[in-house]
Amino acid sequence: MAEEKKGRAVATSAAASVPKFVRGNMQATLRAKEEGKKVAAAYIADGQDEIFRAMDIVPAWGESFSGVCAAKRDAEKYLQKAESDNFSRSLCTYATCEIGFDMMREELGGAMPEGAPWGGIARPDMMIGNGQLLCDPRFKWPQATQHYQRDVPVFVNNMYYPPWDPNGDHHEVEALYVKYCTEELRELVKFCEKICGKKMDWDRLAATVELSDKTWDLFIDTYALRKHIPTPMDTGDAMNTMVPLTFNLATQEAYDFYVALKAEIEQKIADGFAVANPEKYRVIWAAGLPSWFALGDFQYFNSKGVVFPVEVTYRGCEKIELLDLPKTNDPLEHIAWRWVRYWTHWYDAAKKRPGSTPKVERIIEYIEDYKCDGVVFHSAFSCRSWHAGIMQQAATLKKVYKDIPILIMEGDIVDISSYNEADTHNRIDAFIETLAAYKTRQG
Amino acid sequence: MEYFAGVDIGSTMTKVVIMGDKMEASLIGPTGPEHRKLANRVMEEALQQARLSFDDLTYIVATGYGRINVPFADRQITEITCHAKGLQSLLPSVKTVIDVGGQDSKGIKILNGKVMNFVMNDKCAAGTGRFLEIIADSLGVPLDKIGEISLTAEKIAAVSSTCTVFAEAEIISRLATGEPVANLLAGIHDAVATRIAALVRKLNVEPDIAVTGGGAKNIGLVKALGSKFGRELLVPPEPLITGALGAALMGKDIYIKYASEGLKPSRSGNKLEEATFFK
Amino acid sequence: MTDIQTGNGLAAAEKLYTQYGSRARELKASGKKVIGYLSALGPVEIMTAAGVLPIRLKGNVSEAISKGDAYMETIVCPFVRNVFDAAVKGKYDFLDGIVMPHQCDSIDRTNETWSYTLNLPFWHFLNMPHAADDPSIAFTKEILRLLVKSLEKYTGNKITDEAIAKAVAAHNQNRKVMRDLYDLRKSNPPLISGVEMMKVCVAAMSLPVEESSALIESVIKEVKGRTPAAGDAKAKRIMIIGDQIDDVAVIEAIESTGAYLVMDDLSTGSKMYWQDVDATPDPLQGIAERYLRKLKIPTTFIGSAPTYEGILEERYGHMKNYVKDFKVDGAILFIYKYCDPYGFEVPAIKSYVEAAGAPVLYLEDEYSTSSLARVKTRIEAFLEMIA
Repeated sequence: MAEEKKGRAVATSAAASVPKFVRGNMQATLRAKEEGKKVAAAYIADGQDEIFRAMDIVPAWGESFSGVCAAKRDAEKYLQKAESDNFSRSLCTYATCEIGFDMMREELGGAMPEGAPWGGIARPDMMIGNGQLLCDPRFKWPQATQHYQRDVPVFVNNMYYPPWDPNGDHHEVEALYVKYCTEELRELVKFCEKICGKKMDWDRLAATVELSDKTWDLFIDTYALRKHIPTPMDTGDAMNTMVPLTFNLATQEAYDFYVALKAEIEQKIADGFAVANPEKYRVIWAAGLPSWFALGDFQYFNSKGVVFPVEVTYRGCEKIELLDLPKTNDPLEHIAWRWVRYWTHWYDAAKKRPGSTPKVERIIEYIEDYKCDGVVFHSAFSCRSWHAGIMQQAATLKKVYKDIPILIMEGDIVDISSYNEADTHNRIDAFIETLAAYKTRQG
Repeated sequence: MEYFAGVDIGSTMTKVVIMGDKMEASLIGPTGPEHRKLANRVMEEALQQARLSFDDLTYIVATGYGRINVPFADRQITEITCHAKGLQSLLPSVKTVIDVGGQDSKGIKILNGKVMNFVMNDKCAAGTGRFLEIIADSLGVPLDKIGEISLTAEKIAAVSSTCTVFAEAEIISRLATGEPVANLLAGIHDAVATRIAALVRKLNVEPDIAVTGGGAKNIGLVKALGSKFGRELLVPPEPLITGALGAALMGKDIYIKYASEGLKPSRSGNKLEEATFFK
Repeated sequence: MTDIQTGNGLAAAEKLYTQYGSRARELKASGKKVIGYLSALGPVEIMTAAGVLPIRLKGNVSEAISKGDAYMETIVCPFVRNVFDAAVKGKYDFLDGIVMPHQCDSIDRTNETWSYTLNLPFWHFLNMPHAADDPSIAFTKEILRLLVKSLEKYTGNKITDEAIAKAVAAHNQNRKVMRDLYDLRKSNPPLISGVEMMKVCVAAMSLPVEESSALIESVIKEVKGRTPAAGDAKAKRIMIIGDQIDDVAVIEAIESTGAYLVMDDLSTGSKMYWQDVDATPDPLQGIAERYLRKLKIPTTFIGSAPTYEGILEERYGHMKNYVKDFKVDGAILFIYKYCDPYGFEVPAIKSYVEAAGAPVLYLEDEYSTSSLARVKTRIEAFLEMIA
């Protein structure tokens, strides 16, 4: 997801190698047919990775494609194409960008539209969504796309987890949710078997799940190195280094990537490397998808001595031992337990602190562990899924924790027409002043 | 001889057309906040021009943003229908109309003078004349000159913000870094044309394409729009009166329809005087 | 409720529409617990069985959002924001609690904003799934059971299967009489106007189920007795499609042009009343099936048919029936800005309904009358176009 434009620097060479991953993923979809593999239009963090990889299904990640368009600042024509058939501009721009592209590709009889970024992505053999608790577009998007690709079957399963209830105990309903998730995953397997014309290799699936568990652990261990003061890697890089976890989970390449990244960060620490020198303030990126066309803003922060040693966004995993997963021989049930326990991981902490919420507890945990002086949220206007509720998180954080400086930036994930660089930099400057005042008060 | 009048009360201009078997009068005046009370004054002037009296009029149709504020009108019809009718009478080959007004922009598909489909943008300044007005103002260039100046540009200085407020800020800062005014003007004309084209593409755009409304008088905008559709766009001789013309012609159609059944359409029964329901 | 007794159903509806929640306040004063809910997913049968008054929450399109913005993002659905603003302003100060169904992100992602800000004695987030397959039905039954337990705990009363079955029958009866009232819109001209119908629907969703049915029956009696007006044979018959439209403003914009609003596919209208709950041995089974499979809303994924055409029939077939049964000449698809569930369906709905024979006007707007004049121009132009 790195910007193609000059001047965008990343601290780690691992992060610099990420565009290769992203491009590789897109090209894999273009090669799939001749390799005898099926392509599935799919969406990230849906708990379906292991099933895809175990069946050699090549995922065409919607968010990846649109993120690339955004980073190249070349999404507008696709957004306009979608708009021409009455998709509102207020809808998720990840979705409308890709739908616009799919519409164009379909009009060309499946041929790639001119100027498609990095060669484009292949027409899928199936579209797989998930009605998970996180994001409506993840099941509306494939459904809407089918209007233009009518012969491509759409499957949507529903992976829920217990909702937060300050007066309830989610442990009482865990089993119900795990059962539901497991059954839904089983339905997905049945669908994939039908489309691929072959049965699931359950041993292979078990091995794939084991690999993704190991990758989760390695990811957390790697990122924990960023607690070091000064931090050797910040969110600007993490928006790249999240790619293998997010798009290539359950593959050896993803695991190996984090092995290399961990080694690189350990070396950087040994060499005394710092993202910002001098490092004046440490800030957490507490929520929100970034503006993919403006990742350079992280360098702007860095240039003023501000670093992001930790982020909540795209850190979609936790140490397996902390999740305390019950033993099971059923890999689907294991995925289900991992899903439910991950999404409810901060509920117990929230119950212990009156007035708090799990999202806020997660932020507090990272503020403490990574020694943060301030908090930044990014509110993207086209995405209710990740951005509605940010004000409530900020207000709750202020109420239950300390008087820590908080900045809520506003923009979008893909639609650059909402972005104004001068304005954004002004806001950042003002925030840095509050950080300075806060740190002085802390003594 | 039957005479039909069309009154088009737009957000910035009020237009009146009186039709006999030819155009007897056409008048354009500024609307202003008092338009509600003064539609009758514009009508009086038009009648003078046509050398007719109010009672000579057979049927009166009001259209435009302020059409409900014309008490002496016999019928209100939307400007979408009226622009389609008026435009087609002037340019019979046109199938797609782009109307760029001061406060809104529209796309209309027409067939035999009838509206087949339409789209409107009246929420966002970015695709309307207002955007150009604001930028012209901040650049200190007369509004009626920005089009021709934009055509002298060496290159289009692309404006990435589609929001008027952000675009204005962007342009000011570009000016400060020495970007030639002509290039910036080319940039904003391109930006407005892009937004309008995005709106109009919701229709199944077919040639010939015509541009009307105040925006049609801006040669830079017409050219920029043409480049979006890859062809030259047609412009009626006086773009501002197509709505009023269409309204008059709609009035004629209504009269003829009733007459074919041996009937007369009902009249408002109101005199040509200042509207009183605002007191 | 003397209006109803004297046969002035429409007058009673008018009062309940204008003073929304007035009956709930009366009942609250006499000791009844009042529980609000959002959306057509609110399981009214269970709430009725619990002995509480379920009241469907609405906002006010004529009121600008002012206080709510301090807590809730402006990118949230404008309808949800408006209702939240009304609650923050105290318009629902008679509520003992809210059942918040998981319909969409705008609701799910602001659940804490609602519950923490309003701090009501009773709060239940009903985690309705987005899928309707067999595991989802089984899951929904468990979720409904959790709601039953939660209401039992709050009210201190056991909710028996018999009580639920009884409530199911009462709400089915309510749906039947409302469908009977809708039948009176089939004539040309319809015996009841769209404006009147909206008021009845809104009034009905604020009353205990028996009073709601009595109101509707009273209106039927009053309307049936009308001498049908000569009407305009050329007036267009319009259907409105959308989610929560609960105010006469846009209806008036349509009918003031001379057109008739004869049918709707709204979550405050036909979606509430067209499908009954089957009386199943475990009453929660029938409830789960209705709310998940029979109720066609964009937040429940439906797509089991083997062809795309078949899928469209599954999702929208009822609209084709409405076009036919109510002799619809044109449809208005009225969708709020920032609504992903409906927004992504616009091309499919538009093309399906147009293929069914009714041209469609797609309007995107806020939950507000602030842009009503512009909306009216588009509606007028549309009617001129299909004339």
